[in-house]
Amino acid sequence: MLYDLRRAALPIKWLVTCLLATLGLSYLFGALMISLYAGFTPQRVAATYAGPEMSMRMPPETTMVVEHPITRADFAQPEVHAVDTNLLIQDTHVHVPMYGIIAAALSVVVVGLPLRRGWALGLITLLFAAPWLDFAGMWLTKFASARFAILTLIGGWAMAAGYVVVAALAVRHMWLSPERN
Amino acid sequence: MNLLMRVAAIAMMLHITPAVVLVKRPDAVEALLPGADAYTARDVHLSDVDAHRLHVAVDWSPEDGVLTFYKGKAGSVLVGALEFVRVDTPHGPIEVAVGFTPQATVRGVIVTKATVEMKPWVLEAVAAGLTNHYQGLKPGDSPGGAAAIANQAGNLAEYIAGEVDKGVARALAAYGAFYNHVRA
Repeated sequence: MLYDLRRAALPIKWLVTCLLATLGLSYLFGALMISLYAGFTPQRVAATYAGPEMSMRMPPETTMVVEHPITRADFAQPEVHAVDTNLLIQDTHVHVPMYGIIAAALSVVVVGLPLRRGWALGLITLLFAAPWLDFAGMWLTKFASARFAILTLIGGWAMAAGYVVVAALAVRHMWLSPERN
Repeated sequence: MNLLMRVAAIAMMLHITPAVVLVKRPDAVEALLPGADAYTARDVHLSDVDAHRLHVAVDWSPEDGVLTFYKGKAGSVLVGALEFVRVDTPHGPIEVAVGFTPQATVRGVIVTKATVEMKPWVLEAVAAGLTNHYQGLKPGDSPGGAAAIANQAGNLAEYIAGEVDKGVARALAAYGAFYNHVRA
């Protein structure tokens, strides 16, 4: 095999390691951002993406008032961060190309690892399919059913799993394998 | 080249910077309803006709067609009411808290949220005394904060003051038309 990360020159191994570390750092902060804005449960994801567009509110015949007591603590409760259609278009436009580049970079690492062809193809497919699932879940949650929020969660966890598997395999083969140079 | 510049400008406009909290809501409530120890949320669900009337008056419709006023009481004494009004600008949303006295005049105005980009403009406008110019306004008055600070702040601060004016105008119109005129 012409391209084998186990036997690559030290600068190449260092480059791949730095790339993985940088991506890992950005994924960590990505997870932190998700916890701030969308959450990790189907309910919170559905609340973020489905929003009021899913329930067509009918205005009353005449203006009416509903009063209810609240406490000071209620003012401090975090508001639901809603992503409307315009913002979702923008998010898709910004994130999907970047996810594609990240999946391609990780796939290049996969190609340099001594994996069976089936495993390599499976990993590459996972790396690209995860962000598709992530965004498909958001769009379906908004326009089909809030139940599709689970797809976004699966996509997000699949992205994380893909990264962890590739990073672990790369570090193992580049720096720990007895067959390395 | 010209086309590239235009595309870059459009891209810059579309990429709104993240929202930042300038004043936490509980702190705004404490400042605008001083001494209050009990609160009531008054949700006014607008009919089509009333929503249209409000839209014609101030070019704005509240989210989901619901106006929410927060009343504060100290014991059995009414301290006042406040509204949080969102204003969408080309640079992202700002949120303005407008507090009213029991005599239906503006007690105070606080800009509670902006975006990273707009934060320095808001701070400059507030430092120039913007929010002082709203005190005492009553429904029917026109807020003129932007004009009042025109010679004391930069163009961007004056611009954002105009957006705050819009928020105050919306709060005044909503309060004047719907706070007391619709019974629970």
